[in-house]
Amino acid sequence: MQTSTGTLSKRRRIFWLVPLIALALPLLTNPYTQFIANAMLIYTLVTLGFSVVIGNLGQLAFANTAFFGIGAYASAIASTNLGLPWLATVPLAGLAGAFGGFLASAAALRGIRLYYLAIVTMAFGELMRWFYTHTGVLTGGTDGLPVSRERDFGLALTSDTVQFYVFLIITCLLVAGTVNLLRSRIGRAIIAVRENEIATASLGIPTSQIIVTAFMWSGFIVGIAGAMFALHTGRVFPESFGLTQLIVNFAMVLVGGLGSVAGAVLGAVALTALPEYVRAFPGMEEIFFGVIVMVVLLVMPKGLASLLARVSPIFQQRYHRD
Amino acid sequence: MTSLLKVEGLSVHFSGLKALDDVSFELEAGQVRAVIGPNGAGKTTLFNAISGYARPTAGSVLLEDTEIVHCSPHLIAEKGLRRTFQNGGLFAALTVLENVMTGLHTQTPGTFFDVLLGRRKAVEAEIEIREKARDLLKLMSMDHMADTPAGDLSGGQQRIVEIVRTVASEPPVLLLDEPAVGLSPVARQQMMEIIKRLSGEKGVGILLIEHAVELVMAAADRILVMAAGARISEGTPEEIRSDKAVLEAYLGHA
Repeated sequence: MQTSTGTLSKRRRIFWLVPLIALALPLLTNPYTQFIANAMLIYTLVTLGFSVVIGNLGQLAFANTAFFGIGAYASAIASTNLGLPWLATVPLAGLAGAFGGFLASAAALRGIRLYYLAIVTMAFGELMRWFYTHTGVLTGGTDGLPVSRERDFGLALTSDTVQFYVFLIITCLLVAGTVNLLRSRIGRAIIAVRENEIATASLGIPTSQIIVTAFMWSGFIVGIAGAMFALHTGRVFPESFGLTQLIVNFAMVLVGGLGSVAGAVLGAVALTALPEYVRAFPGMEEIFFGVIVMVVLLVMPKGLASLLARVSPIFQQRYHRD
Repeated sequence: MTSLLKVEGLSVHFSGLKALDDVSFELEAGQVRAVIGPNGAGKTTLFNAISGYARPTAGSVLLEDTEIVHCSPHLIAEKGLRRTFQNGGLFAALTVLENVMTGLHTQTPGTFFDVLLGRRKAVEAEIEIREKARDLLKLMSMDHMADTPAGDLSGGQQRIVEIVRTVASEPPVLLLDEPAVGLSPVARQQMMEIIKRLSGEKGVGILLIEHAVELVMAAADRILVMAAGARISEGTPEEIRSDKAVLEAYLGHA
């Protein structure tokens, strides 16, 4: 038993091959595909943060676009209104997103759960969108708010290639942090709360604290993804953080596999790339997207991560069952 | 000998209904006290009131001379009073080993940031509790199931793992809510031995709700009999066996 766990953790090191291969990616891309690759990294974090709350913690909370928007606007406001370099806005966006996570967790702690939590957190997202639209002085309203790419610690952040390497480093750090958390006593407690909250408390585990922690970590990484999104698009608009965004993010979580880190990466990459193939057929994109999601979920109810598990036991999705 | 757990005048009243009414008793280290009574007697309410899951309307619960009556469940558990649940409380998606490790949560050092940054302290703590959990499973001859998801175990195995998880942190007081329900005669025997070993060798004070009479008579030092939320009798198994009030509560007035 012990040896099998030992070799398993050794074999897990092959996960580091993924970012290493990604390092070489800009050699193979053109400006258009580079732009898409950058979006993949952003959506990896968006999906991972969402998956921690709805997959691991098991709370039906849909405040993910709120965290994403809060992070994006925090970055744009700090950059445009306060004149901070983009890199300095990244931790601010993370903290702002974490605060959004704290607010969403407050609803769950007040005993609002299941469908009620779903509707309250969706309303939170819509409220934030209303806020971006109607506080023009701060957010630029419907005209959007630009993100300054000028001051940047000597990094030419206007270049998509430079952006890619910066995004890759941030994404790897946050994915590694999430893996550390999920494989620790905190990660076990998060899953324990999902499985049986009453029994979790009976083991001396402060369940409220665990719920707040999971929500705030989710808000933190999705908020940082928001800052990346702001830089990536150059200008943030309220419309980017509506229900369409939420549905796309939700689909990424499900297609990848609920509560799986590898699944979050796969879901984000797959559903960022696939719609690009049908750009040539305007009006067909949404239909195509819907069909893809339905087919994947019918064939693989546990998402793309379950496909990996069939190939190798190190991808086994032990943390989610029917 | 001072008592580990001292319950005095504990009551839970819901708008006129006396789910638990003025119950008092003491529990000493190494003692097994069974709580018996017909369905609806208030046994589980008593457990819930002691462990923080039901709010008592009156009374006091002293755990090693500390008042715990208005503490939240996780605080009471942290202070050293742990319980199991009638309908099982295992985390089905976690493995057997991970379930036991959750029982050691409060004894695992390392802050959020130690864990997040993968600091040596947190990594070593994780290895340490993994080993400890494995050793505990070995004691109950369950180590061969360590990596099985808890949801795949049989009912009897689940009960044993739940007890291993609950006692992993070595709490001085243990509340077992029908640990033998649904078990085969062999598993029931095994459960009785586990209870005796915990009280005899480890000195754990055990409060036990159980319907299986032979298990109660064999394992308990003292028995508390309840009916309709109130205590109707108290004594050793021999005394209870010949108590008229108890016979009436169970069989009706002759």
